[in-house]
Amino acid sequence: MTKSIILSTGNIVSGGPSIIRKNGASRSNRELTDSLRSNFAAAKEEYAYLAVNGTNGNGNGHADRNGSTPLSVWTEQQDSVLYVPRINWDFAGLQEEPSQYDVTVKLFFLTTGSTSCPSAREQHARQALSLVLKELRIPKVDLLVVSFPGMSFDGDCEWEADKQNAQQGEDEEEAATWPALERLQREGLVKNLGIAEFGSEKLARLLKRVEVKPTVDQINIKNCCNVPPPLVELAKEQGIELLVHNDSTDVLPKGTLRELLGQGPNGAGVLADGEASSGLKGDLTPQWVIKYTAVVRDRGVIENKGYFAGAELEEEA
Amino acid sequence: MGLLALGTALEWADAKKQADLVRQWGIKQLLAIWNKAKHKERDALLWGDEVEYLVVVWSEDDQRVLVSLRQADILKALANDTELTSGGGGVPDLQATTGASHASPLPVFHPEFGRFMLEATPGQPWGIEFKELLAVEADMKLRRSIAKNHMLATEYPITLTTFPRLGCPGVFSDPSYPVSGPKLRSQFVPDEIANPHIRFPTLAANIRSRRGRKVQVNVPVFRDEKTPWPWKDPTVNYDLHQWPEDDDVRNGAAPDNFIHMDAMAFGMGSCCLQITFQAKNITEGRQMYDQLSPLGPILLALTAATPIYKGFLADTDVRWNQISRAVDDRTPEELGEKPLEHDRWRIPKSRYASNSTYISTDHRLRPEYMDPNLIIDEDIKAKLLDGGMDERLATHFAHLFIRDPLVIFAEDLEELDLNKTDHFENIQSTNWQHMRFKPPPADNSIGWRVEFRPMEIQITDFENAAFAVFIVLITRAILSFDLNFYIPIVKVDENMEAAHARDAVLDGKFHFRKNLFPARAPRSAGPSGANTPTPSRPATPVGPVEDEYRLMGINEIINGTEYARSSSSSPVKPDADHDADFPGLIPIVEAYLDSMNIDVATRCELATYLDLIRRRASGELWTAARWIRHFVATHPRYGKDSAVSELVTHDLVGAVIAIGEREQKGCGFKGLGINGLDKLLGEFRGGC
Repeated sequence: MTKSIILSTGNIVSGGPSIIRKNGASRSNRELTDSLRSNFAAAKEEYAYLAVNGTNGNGNGHADRNGSTPLSVWTEQQDSVLYVPRINWDFAGLQEEPSQYDVTVKLFFLTTGSTSCPSAREQHARQALSLVLKELRIPKVDLLVVSFPGMSFDGDCEWEADKQNAQQGEDEEEAATWPALERLQREGLVKNLGIAEFGSEKLARLLKRVEVKPTVDQINIKNCCNVPPPLVELAKEQGIELLVHNDSTDVLPKGTLRELLGQGPNGAGVLADGEASSGLKGDLTPQWVIKYTAVVRDRGVIENKGYFAGAELEEEA
Repeated sequence: MGLLALGTALEWADAKKQADLVRQWGIKQLLAIWNKAKHKERDALLWGDEVEYLVVVWSEDDQRVLVSLRQADILKALANDTELTSGGGGVPDLQATTGASHASPLPVFHPEFGRFMLEATPGQPWGIEFKELLAVEADMKLRRSIAKNHMLATEYPITLTTFPRLGCPGVFSDPSYPVSGPKLRSQFVPDEIANPHIRFPTLAANIRSRRGRKVQVNVPVFRDEKTPWPWKDPTVNYDLHQWPEDDDVRNGAAPDNFIHMDAMAFGMGSCCLQITFQAKNITEGRQMYDQLSPLGPILLALTAATPIYKGFLADTDVRWNQISRAVDDRTPEELGEKPLEHDRWRIPKSRYASNSTYISTDHRLRPEYMDPNLIIDEDIKAKLLDGGMDERLATHFAHLFIRDPLVIFAEDLEELDLNKTDHFENIQSTNWQHMRFKPPPADNSIGWRVEFRPMEIQITDFENAAFAVFIVLITRAILSFDLNFYIPIVKVDENMEAAHARDAVLDGKFHFRKNLFPARAPRSAGPSGANTPTPSRPATPVGPVEDEYRLMGINEIINGTEYARSSSSSPVKPDADHDADFPGLIPIVEAYLDSMNIDVATRCELATYLDLIRRRASGELWTAARWIRHFVATHPRYGKDSAVSELVTHDLVGAVIAIGEREQKGCGFKGLGINGLDKLLGEFRGGC
């Protein structure tokens, strides 16, 4: 049987060093992995403390720091979804009303994500977006950027990157996914749509097949002064803004997720490691990741930033 | 500079009698604004920069170089420029603005203390839109070109912090006037060096009178190979008997090995780059005031540009202490030179000095950070507390209000007008600390503001824009990541001193907080308003304050430990414990930018600015101070004796003018043949 797992980071904006890019690492998923790890550790400690001391906070609060806080204490099962860690939605929301913010989300469809069923991506998009809307207590987001698997903007020079890009990704899948995103927009959940890592040729091909055009194309290039001219031209002509990003496309590989949730020294102990240990057993596949950023309009202050990730566990009978 | 109201300025003997009245009325005005504005919310981020210029008279074939004292004529020319005024720009103090709105208002020009100075600000404040940040440099260039267009062909607005030959014997200004006037009583500069508006000479005269002698601005001289030692400032005249203050030098005002200066103009005639921010509310304003404060000395060292005074190379790189001494109105009793008899207290710092208070309501502000020697006026504090102000802010203003008002206009003492802030501003604007916390104006039309004041002006507008934008981005990172830069105020004071040393940017060590990040917010924290009593886990115990900071170089502070370790110019000892690594201000700003939606071209421009600052901090590029020293040292006519002759100054100013002209044309700096310029500007803006 299949079980969904929802991972979350909480608000990482004041979470310290995990937001700082390491020297030389221009594209990295460390922000995601570091902040997941730190949120797991904090949740274990905090929920263990609450479990022991109740909500009055009396007592000396020695949480078990050996990672043996029971799974049922710091995670939560709701129907077929397991939240890692448990989310207390009472604490959701932004400080001011939604109109004061620009909220951007970036949805990563992962290489390992299911595409077999045509509606899988739509389901994932809706699930991811609804988590963000719930977390920020907002009715809609201003920009949804979609990152498709297998895309990059790599090459020794930017011309080459643009050429290579033309061969990447899966045009058919991408085009087939787009109407689902257009529906989100029509329903008023998303104001504008965007894409990531589309070079000039891929962008031109996509534009021919969509009703609602993306307003944004996020690219990662080594030297931001050298955007390939054909892309600049096309973007200008189509009114598409070229934005910078530093995310890696393969933001949550299967092995990384296993390590995050496994029994190892850096693992959260959610997954069993072999027959002997406790925890969930089965094959775990990351499906999607959504990053959200809420910026106070007119003030340029990031108030809330975080990630949710969705994975599917094919449980062993 | 504050408002230039006209009226009858009181001489010190009369002003002194009214000091208490002005303070009392000032406090009432402050409480009136406080009550009007304390709940003001949601002001947008707006910010503004102020660029100050020296106006010099220079031509290729004349070996002299002079400061121009035509400030009033230049401002009049600017005010009479109808195109400029109808475009929203002009000179507000000389001409009522028409209130004409304009798509992008033209710059505004202001008089300054020095009659050889000019200040220019953008026509309207900047917002936070990233594209707007890119308009700053162009606007600065526009300001410079407008200023130049209203000058004589041989006059130039330049952005050196000080005029290297101000106060030299002989002729250094155009026109030239005799020294030893009644207001300044300086043996080096004439009274006419100051803006003739009654406010300025009165300010200078009352500082001198209050102090009981002339100000003493002594800067250690740089000892070069052939500098006579001990060095006696050869320009000091011990035989003047015009004014009682002429005894000062006979009483030891000019010690050996120091360049001696004796007038306000030597300090207040310096140009700086100041940035003012509007906060969303008073709480955020107080937070920004505190958090930017420890950055002051760092940015001072990084922008160092002041190695020459009165024709001699100094052994310091920045202007700060000279301004501090140039307006130091403390009496011998206040200075601790005589027992307290007439004055109320000993005062450890000049009115122009690094901050003495932290004012935020932040729970991370520990009592140990506060200045243990803070002097406050208890009566004034009590009145502010009675008026409903909280302890910390009341302490701040009760500290500023230990000072006497220096310039009082008789007309303003007729009745108290609570719809004005003139008496409050009288004290507030003559407290020149490195940060200034500014309440809204009396009509409450703009928000609470914070002014960042320590930076030295840079030679090019590219550099000035880079530092302005950097500080703006730092404030956004501070607010987004809730950064904590607190160290004890006395350590900020020490850092301010450390920033003065020659090449402090390379060799200086500064106390800096090791961990800037807040403890992870407990999940029960939620957004404000959630207001749930649920505790999460026991509060992290706090260790000794001394464990919170350590000594770091500028490279490490700006670029991070890892970068500093790998860059050769200022090696940092490898540290086994990488947890002790400091992330660096630029990587933090980059983390902020990474989280924002920024278009490619904009990010590229912002990266250029950050790159300049990175290279200045690492030593790869030079500060203006280092470049000027190099220029002098390698000039064929420099005698290695610390003296910067008229000819060398002429060529230095000529180089600065040539750089400015190239910048205006936007055609790069190649082929100028200026010694060491490539180390100042590298490949930026067309390269050298």
